[in-house]
Amino acid sequence: MKHDLNHINNDYQNIKVPETLRTKIEDTITQAKEDLAAETLQNRRYQKFFSLRIAAAGAAAAALLLVILVNSSSSIAYAMEQVPFLGTIVKVITFREYEHHENKMEADIKVPEVQIKDKEGTVLQESTEKLNDAIQSYTNEIIAAYEADVKAAGTEGTESVNLDYEIVTDNDKLFSLGFHQTIVMAGGTQLTKIYHIDKSTGDMITLKDLFQEGVDYKTPISENIKQQMKEQMNADENKTYWVDSDVPEWNFTEISDNVNFYINEKGKLVLVFDEYEVAPGYMGIVTFEVPTEIVADIIKEGYLQ
Amino acid sequence: MSSPKIQQMVEQELLSSYEALYRLAYTYVKNESDAMDVVQESAYKAIKNAASLKKKAHIKTWIFRIVINTSIELLRQRQREVFWEAPEEYGKEDVYLDFDTIDALDVLNEKERAVIVLRYFEDQKLQEIADILEENLNTTKSILYRSLKKLKLTLTEGEFCHEA
Repeated sequence: MKHDLNHINNDYQNIKVPETLRTKIEDTITQAKEDLAAETLQNRRYQKFFSLRIAAAGAAAAALLLVILVNSSSSIAYAMEQVPFLGTIVKVITFREYEHHENKMEADIKVPEVQIKDKEGTVLQESTEKLNDAIQSYTNEIIAAYEADVKAAGTEGTESVNLDYEIVTDNDKLFSLGFHQTIVMAGGTQLTKIYHIDKSTGDMITLKDLFQEGVDYKTPISENIKQQMKEQMNADENKTYWVDSDVPEWNFTEISDNVNFYINEKGKLVLVFDEYEVAPGYMGIVTFEVPTEIVADIIKEGYLQ
Repeated sequence: MSSPKIQQMVEQELLSSYEALYRLAYTYVKNESDAMDVVQESAYKAIKNAASLKKKAHIKTWIFRIVINTSIELLRQRQREVFWEAPEEYGKEDVYLDFDTIDALDVLNEKERAVIVLRYFEDQKLQEIADILEENLNTTKSILYRSLKKLKLTLTEGEFCHEA
């Protein structure tokens, strides 16, 4: 038996490795490195593109959004009185910048400070503080994560963390502040987190607060998203969502309580999913605009159009 | 470990063991041009995904695993082509070397083949092979015994009895 194996082994060792193989492998390695570098770059470009699109369309998808829902009754009051109405004023009054460069580790994190005033110009202290606290705890978390990486990687790490902000929407109903976070290590990562603050109360709100008490808003929205996923996949073979996929446990079934959303410039509800949440990584951050008629019966008045 | 460094180590490993990788691929695909394709594609995958590797100790087993999986992928692809459509004949023919003895490995399934090749021809430790196949040591041992048994049957009963 051993003998026979030796025989096979002989032939095995005699398998002639083509002389060109080494050069070909070297070429392949070079190619892979170039592709990898290009992809990292593309991730950065994609991020850039995303920010531009946000600025243009007011769609703050790749972003942390701090949305202040201006008291809608003011708008109604405005309509009734027919007098010029200047809504609550929200302004970015200043910002701090956290900067760090060391070898190949770099971070540039902008932390804006916001002020909210009523129409008489009095600062709404509580709302202002809550919003600034929310921004700060969010940015502190990012800074802490980066500093932990610096500590762990020593002088050998390669990482770039960037956080920038931008006013996405500013009208009499809504002030939205978008944060774009990019982390580039081996590949790029984009993160979404959306906070909402109801301006009339100063409280953080989630999706359910847009709907009437006790109604099921998840089912109609989730079903609509699944339908949109399927339609998009049928229309474009390059698109993939995890719906009816081969891996049932990955499938998107229902939106969660803390699902990310914003209301776009058309007054439509837009749901935002992070990379990998409902689709493979190459799809990036994905968004779905929900037709208002789907939720027309259950939405509180004034939020959507 | 930072990704550029691990990438460099993957590159070194590829360049030092590419001949073994080629032979391993060859036992699956059985011709020169496919084996070359497999090794190149594996090298590409390895460099691209080097950053996902956490420990440098895993580099070698990981690369061998990629080669095995890529070989199997190619074989399956070929099978599908045969079943679904007859591909048009073009280009130069693949050269299949006539190694009766290596064909004896055909009685083994994909995992068994890897165990035999790595253990006896590439002289790898059972634990390394277990890591490559992502099996535990005992399972790998029993795959080895099963493979030897199967081989013995073919080698003694089959047409391959040159020296027996």
